[in-house]
Amino acid sequence: MEPITGKALVLACSAIGAGLAMIAGIGPGIGQGYAAGKGAEGVGRQPEAQGDIVRTMLLGAAVAETTGIYGLIIALILLFANPLVGLLG
Amino acid sequence: MEENFIMQFLNWLASFETKELVAAASCIGAGLAMIAGIGPGIGQGFAAGKGAEAVSVNEKASKQTTMVMLLGAAVAETSGILALVVALILLYGNPLMSTEGVSIIIAASAIGAGLSMIAGIGPGIGQGYAAGKSTESVGRRPKLQSSVVRTMFLGQAVAQTTGIYALIIALVLMFANPLIKMVM
Repeated sequence: MEPITGKALVLACSAIGAGLAMIAGIGPGIGQGYAAGKGAEGVGRQPEAQGDIVRTMLLGAAVAETTGIYGLIIALILLFANPLVGLLG
Repeated sequence: MEENFIMQFLNWLASFETKELVAAASCIGAGLAMIAGIGPGIGQGFAAGKGAEAVSVNEKASKQTTMVMLLGAAVAETSGILALVVALILLYGNPLMSTEGVSIIIAASAIGAGLSMIAGIGPGIGQGYAAGKSTESVGRRPKLQSSVVRTMFLGQAVAQTTGIYALIIALVLMFANPLIKMVM
């Protein structure tokens, strides 16, 4: 078997890094679920305000989503447009 | 290059056949993917606790609260199932085993696919929390069951998104890996 080249090492670490980046998905998952729970609780308490409650819940959930999307972007960059591989020349 | 610990480790890895290395990494990846099981475990446990609480508060609505609890827990289960699917693919239908390329990249992709699925912890906990709160609300006011459950499903669908992103990255790493082609 051929020895591991520097480029191969960078690409291998990129694969692991892409997976690590996606662990960030834990946060939005927990946070949005909490929001969903409180939203359901609120509708249960005041059903006439359902529209407002759901709108606020979705607004907050969208903000909570951002870090998950950052993780996804970094993973996609590592996979499809890795700038570090280009630096090796 | 000097022979430090990392170089010795890489040379040791390079001394294995490609298939051996990929198989070993796939085993690690399958185990890592299953860490996602933490999420549904915590979430469904919360839902179950809230269900027991709701039944003790309003015994008449016990059937309704139990049904809402099970519905919510079923949604919370999905990210655990997705992780299980990725682990089973790594074990039984591993596309990386027949991939041609530099062994360490293929092996690292298997580990990366497993790591990616750890994100399933989040949706599992979050959706379980939503299920628990919905169960509590239905127990308090059973008449509002349909609107409470609708809000719960909507929120759970949003909470699922990051789990789906993780699944996409894991599937890309396994089936359409752009990194492997970059050295050839």
